[in-house]
Amino acid sequence: MEIDIIVWILQIILVPVTAPLCVGIIRKIKAKLQNRRGAGIFQPYRDLWKLFHKDEVISKDASWIFRCAPYIVFTVTIVVGASIPLFASYSDVTGSGNLLVIIYTLAIGTFFLALAGIDIGGAFGGFGSSREMTMAALAEGGFIFSLLTVGIISGSTDLFAISQNGLIQQGYLLPSTLAFLGLCIVLLAETARFPFDNPATHLELTMIHEAMILEYSGKKLALMEWASANKLLIFIALASNLFFPFGLAQHADSGAVLVALAVFAVKTIIFCLVIALLESFIAKFRFFRLPDLLMIAFIFNVVAIILIH
Amino acid sequence: MSTLFLQFLLQIIFLTIVFLHITKKNLDAIFAYGIQSLAILILLINSFFETGDISLLFIALLVCIVKVILAPGFFAQLIKKNELIFSASTYLNMPLTLVVLATLTAMAHSYRFSPITNIIPANETLLSLALSTMFLSLFLIVNRKGALSQIIGILSLENSIVAFAIFAGLEQSLGLQIGILFDISIWLIIATVFISMIYKQFGSLDVTDMKKLKE
Repeated sequence: MEIDIIVWILQIILVPVTAPLCVGIIRKIKAKLQNRRGAGIFQPYRDLWKLFHKDEVISKDASWIFRCAPYIVFTVTIVVGASIPLFASYSDVTGSGNLLVIIYTLAIGTFFLALAGIDIGGAFGGFGSSREMTMAALAEGGFIFSLLTVGIISGSTDLFAISQNGLIQQGYLLPSTLAFLGLCIVLLAETARFPFDNPATHLELTMIHEAMILEYSGKKLALMEWASANKLLIFIALASNLFFPFGLAQHADSGAVLVALAVFAVKTIIFCLVIALLESFIAKFRFFRLPDLLMIAFIFNVVAIILIH
Repeated sequence: MSTLFLQFLLQIIFLTIVFLHITKKNLDAIFAYGIQSLAILILLINSFFETGDISLLFIALLVCIVKVILAPGFFAQLIKKNELIFSASTYLNMPLTLVVLATLTAMAHSYRFSPITNIIPANETLLSLALSTMFLSLFLIVNRKGALSQIIGILSLENSIVAFAIFAGLEQSLGLQIGILFDISIWLIIATVFISMIYKQFGSLDVTDMKKLKE
């Protein structure tokens, strides 16, 4: 019983607690690749702490949408983080581990983020929201089809049930590979990483995500940044635990849970390493080339579904 | 070798052809072709271990020399010499190209081609995939404007046919295989020389620029 409560609590707090660390690790690896020392891996926590203790400046034109959006976006990531398999494939805390529920709950966050961007009427927020919605509309197809592929293979739309099956062991290597590649492209698009967006710049020609949260400061900016980190970890968890479900705890046992947490940490670090390498070795694409890349993700998944037949 | 591993090799061939459609850089295309040929080489070595036929080992050795080493080497030198880093564009844009890829793959897996893919019922899935690699290679030849990409498309088609033949259990005599490989190596040399001459004359390898012959 005690172990169930611990797993339940862990499932809820794991994403918000460890997500800033992922961002810190990616930044550290990128710094090392650029021959810089870089900030420590815990710097995102310090940044959040600093922002939570700062005063806010809110435009007089801001409506309730601008004020509420950070709470909605952050809450969405917490709910989704608690509803996906992280370290145990049996611990569906919220009972909402259905793939369509997850996809559209995440879409609510994106929707309010874009609304908040245009709410103040600033030029940057407007074009940021416009770009974000273009990307989100194209990425969503790839995202749905990617999870649908693993759903069809597993015969279930429940993410916890999917994570209990090994896709490769079932003889679906090529469809799984294609769906995984598609999800990786969507991961980069949805989390505003290279080659879709540059998370380290505020250059007006390139920014997408940063443009929408440009008007935020203090606590609300902290929530937005935290939600962004949560989203990154959510996508990493989806990619790693649906396609490489080894190491997940299958039953309530303290040893199995500890091993599962360690395996999840290793898988997350590998994904962070790959993202950092990608960001160091490829340039950001022109905005008009991005639909092609998202189309590739979509078609990969369509081909994967055809191959399952 | 297990069926899963053979399946994996065929999937590598399929993925490299998809990559050939997506990539814009000639060097990446050559690298992908090299990987594809390596997969064919491993398939042939597997056939040798299964049948014990020494002629298959000889063919594998020739494939290694011609397709894995010589062909990518020739093309890499050509690119280096003429600074052909980026390939010519495609006739269809990327989204349409991808839609056609999905359609061709679906077509190869449809029941209309079951007389072909049912040659060996146990290998039906693999044969469907091999057939789709043939279709995708044909489409690569048709869709690309760059002469070098078209040549890689032809070579890729040849690899797809070999893969199909292996999984269909079709007899491949030593003489025929040596003939094909000899053909390819001579064709490679001629193509390389021709491409160099075309590039000197037209300043481009885009076939749409060559509609009018220069004096």
